[in-house]
Amino acid sequence: MSIVVNNITKEFGNFVALRDVSLEIPSGGLMALLGPSGSGKTTLLRIIAGLEVPNAGSIVIDGEDISTQSARDRSVGFVFQHYALFKHMSVFENVAFGLRVRPRTTRPAKSEIQDRVMTLLKLVQLEHMAHRYPSQLSGGQRQRVALSRALAVEPKVLLLDEPFGALDAKVRKELRRWLRRLHDELHVTSVFVTHDQEEALEVADQIVVMSQGRIEQVGSPEEVYHHPATPFVYHFLGDVNLFHVRYEDGAMVVTEHNGHSGNGHAKDAGVGFVRPHGFEITRLAESDKAIPARIVHINAAGPYVKLELAGEQGGLFQVSVTQETYKGLALKRSDDVFVTPREVRVFEHDYAI
Amino acid sequence: MAHAHVNKRSAAIHESAIVRWLLTLAALGFLTLFLLVPLALVFAQGLAKGVVEYWNALKEPDAFSAIKLTLLAAGIAVPANLIFGIAAAWAIAKFQFAGKQLLVTLIDLPFTVSPVISGLIYVLLFGLQGWLGPWLDEHELQVIFAVPGIVLATVFVTFPFVARELIPLMEQQGTDEEEAAILLGASGLRTFFRVTLPNIKWGLLYGVILCNARAMGEFGAVSVVSGHIRGMTNTIPLHVEILYNEYNFAAAFACASLLAFLALITLVLKSVVEWRTQVEPNSKSAQQPDQIETEGLPV
Repeated sequence: MSIVVNNITKEFGNFVALRDVSLEIPSGGLMALLGPSGSGKTTLLRIIAGLEVPNAGSIVIDGEDISTQSARDRSVGFVFQHYALFKHMSVFENVAFGLRVRPRTTRPAKSEIQDRVMTLLKLVQLEHMAHRYPSQLSGGQRQRVALSRALAVEPKVLLLDEPFGALDAKVRKELRRWLRRLHDELHVTSVFVTHDQEEALEVADQIVVMSQGRIEQVGSPEEVYHHPATPFVYHFLGDVNLFHVRYEDGAMVVTEHNGHSGNGHAKDAGVGFVRPHGFEITRLAESDKAIPARIVHINAAGPYVKLELAGEQGGLFQVSVTQETYKGLALKRSDDVFVTPREVRVFEHDYAI
Repeated sequence: MAHAHVNKRSAAIHESAIVRWLLTLAALGFLTLFLLVPLALVFAQGLAKGVVEYWNALKEPDAFSAIKLTLLAAGIAVPANLIFGIAAAWAIAKFQFAGKQLLVTLIDLPFTVSPVISGLIYVLLFGLQGWLGPWLDEHELQVIFAVPGIVLATVFVTFPFVARELIPLMEQQGTDEEEAAILLGASGLRTFFRVTLPNIKWGLLYGVILCNARAMGEFGAVSVVSGHIRGMTNTIPLHVEILYNEYNFAAAFACASLLAFLALITLVLKSVVEWRTQVEPNSKSAQQPDQIETEGLPV
């Protein structure tokens, strides 16, 4: 069921957490709210759930304006970063809770509750843990219990607040692939909050990039990564190097960025963004676009070799090259080389980091 | 070799054996002198004239009425402060509102004010010459030098115990579990009884035990508002004082031994609750979580 967010504004005292945010989440979609801390992503999720009240705007789920409904009546499933499992209840009781607290008229029979809870526990592969307590489970298992507890009430939408944030790296990776597959099976409209761009790119079919209470870009993982709409998105999704860009006789000239944004120079076109893999690295200056630099650090572990280069004006840039290039050029520390930016994305306005 | 190494290291961070023994002895000696000896003395003096006299001192009508009044005062003060304590801690720990800091300060007030002063406040409020005195007199209501005054004073001095115990506990637990319960469709009341209360029960019990001990043992505030009317407005501590002032030592200590008993029971209960609070989270995790995290998860 679709979620529509209309012009939501939320203030905490003087701090504006969300500024006039509008968003549409299609039915059956898996959407990521991605942004740094303080960007308002969790606040937006909590407003959809009814845990926070917005200063302005409305929330529509499945065509129905639910802005005035309490969190209790919204029938949203919510998964917390720190699981929020009921400590004194067994895994089974945790999952059954949402069914047990229903008014007598809509409460399923005992045997039906038993069946549904066990079906859900089977779905998250924890049926053999039904009688354990949350403290006896590992983080990943706890989060799976939290997920089945949220699904037990057959929610219209599923909201996940940094669901893998408290887990270690390996478990996180396994669990998010598993979540993706689970979503493909269940097709319940899901929104999850994350500050991990890799996680968003891997799991979501739509990504909402947020910064300072605003939406910067909405798009598929491919769109936001390859066609960032704003400097912020470019910067947030992956490593990036900054260069001065100006036009001389119609030709673009890229020079080393000295750390200051280029206002004052009329000819400055703005700041050029180059991904670490968007460089050509050579021993000799093959064109006048080549920028001289010295290798200060080499990390050759992994499929790509990561180089850290220092420019003549002291600027540092990150360049990644294939293992073949690295071996072919026989690069060593303190070597003087030339780098030529291949793909430069220029944002016309000054962008200071 | 290994042993020598360990000893060497421990010597570097520990005091020598003599110093350790001296410190332990000093602490034990101090405890014996100032706590154990007086406690033993209370029982020894109470039983000085034999078990029969001891028993008579307790079942004598004035003593019996003092025991009843003490139980009544505690029986009202403890439930009252239990409800207040939970409500205040709930509000302070789980919500943001204007005047929160003021409420916290007010809860601490009975700790910072001398009990005698708190008793005097009630005399000034409800006494014949007090603000509400004439009105109460007109309606033939007596607060001061009567049971209501004693209950009020007891409630006042035991006011902070439950709330003080619960606020840090509830603050540390946060609101996630309550939010989860509400989102699953539970009502506020149900959330409180099924989620919040089980999480705070040991802290709550601890607060109630301390609150009860203080309610039964309170002297200063109660003394001011009581008027010391024998068989009417005397609690056990006040009764003990009267008997002592009358040189009726055996009876005084017999009654005092009741309070000493209460203290001992409180200590035992307190230790049990403390032990339970520590054990609780661990007792259920005796089994280790599975090492292989996503066992059976087809990735």
